[in-house]
Amino acid sequence: MESSAKNPAETIEELRKSFFYGSRSNLNFKFLKDLSDTDFAKFLSDMLDAVGKTTDDGDAGRVVDVAYRWQVDAYGGHLGDPADFPHRYADTPFTALPKPLSECRVGLLTSSGHFVDGDDPEPFGEQAMTQKDAEGRIGEFLRAAPELSTIPVTTQAEQLRVRHGGYPVQAVAADHQVALPIQHLQELAASGEIGEVASSAYSFVGATSQVRLKKDIAPQWAEQLRGDEIDVLLLVPV
Amino acid sequence: MSVGHVQRAVELAGIPTVGIFVKSFGHIPGLMGVARALITPHPMGRPLGAPGDGERQLSVVQAALALLSTEEPTITEYPQPYRPGAPTAFSG
Repeated sequence: MESSAKNPAETIEELRKSFFYGSRSNLNFKFLKDLSDTDFAKFLSDMLDAVGKTTDDGDAGRVVDVAYRWQVDAYGGHLGDPADFPHRYADTPFTALPKPLSECRVGLLTSSGHFVDGDDPEPFGEQAMTQKDAEGRIGEFLRAAPELSTIPVTTQAEQLRVRHGGYPVQAVAADHQVALPIQHLQELAASGEIGEVASSAYSFVGATSQVRLKKDIAPQWAEQLRGDEIDVLLLVPV
Repeated sequence: MSVGHVQRAVELAGIPTVGIFVKSFGHIPGLMGVARALITPHPMGRPLGAPGDGERQLSVVQAALALLSTEEPTITEYPQPYRPGAPTAFSG
């Protein structure tokens, strides 16, 4: 470990914010930015307590649970106040299922940032952008219009790529079914629980311009999906 | 939020929809008025379950699809807690 003697003291606030696209960027814990210093101390205390107990019994689930509970509380507190939520709607569009699910053609769309190798959407014209680069350019993503990647359901797992600067992609990169459950839908089609799986799934980077998506892009994508003649759509935000 | 805009647009286009939202974003379906949502008690970035936990992932997909048969807007929580470190092999 480095000595801090030569470095100026880091404030608790600076420490918290360093996990949010800072020097210690960690998208699993970017919510720390929004905690008060007091709550950050409680979080650290909870985590250390959990790690201490896990040292003895190996139950890492309690460490995950501590991180999960603080994450849920932080997002709920940050965005959960209806008065502060910028994209509220007063109505709820609803279309009834037209026929039994066992006869339905099911579509899939996720905001995971998946694409097929060789069909990179190349955001901002950059070829082979890395995950780290995507995180570094998150501000640009949030201002740009989203692009929809088409993923034929025959795509092999090793041909899939995922890149998204807004969430921790590690779990999805290890197992694409975590957010892009093509195989699970195919299994349900084989067992007859659903009629069939649409020939293509879709993915986009959900960290994008909300205004452009809401006004122009989402209705365009809806028409595109109607063209696929799907009966129902499963959506997986990340 | 992004998927909420898309889900609404697709529903307005006459296609029934269901979304799977992690608990951290569990407030979004109600505020955005999406037709059907399944809330999973999973950490961000693991909407269907842990990597390699194909059993949980499939169960979540089935629970979500079951909501399509509802006759009115529905927001439902998936009942089982997250299972880290599932023993099954990664599916790819």
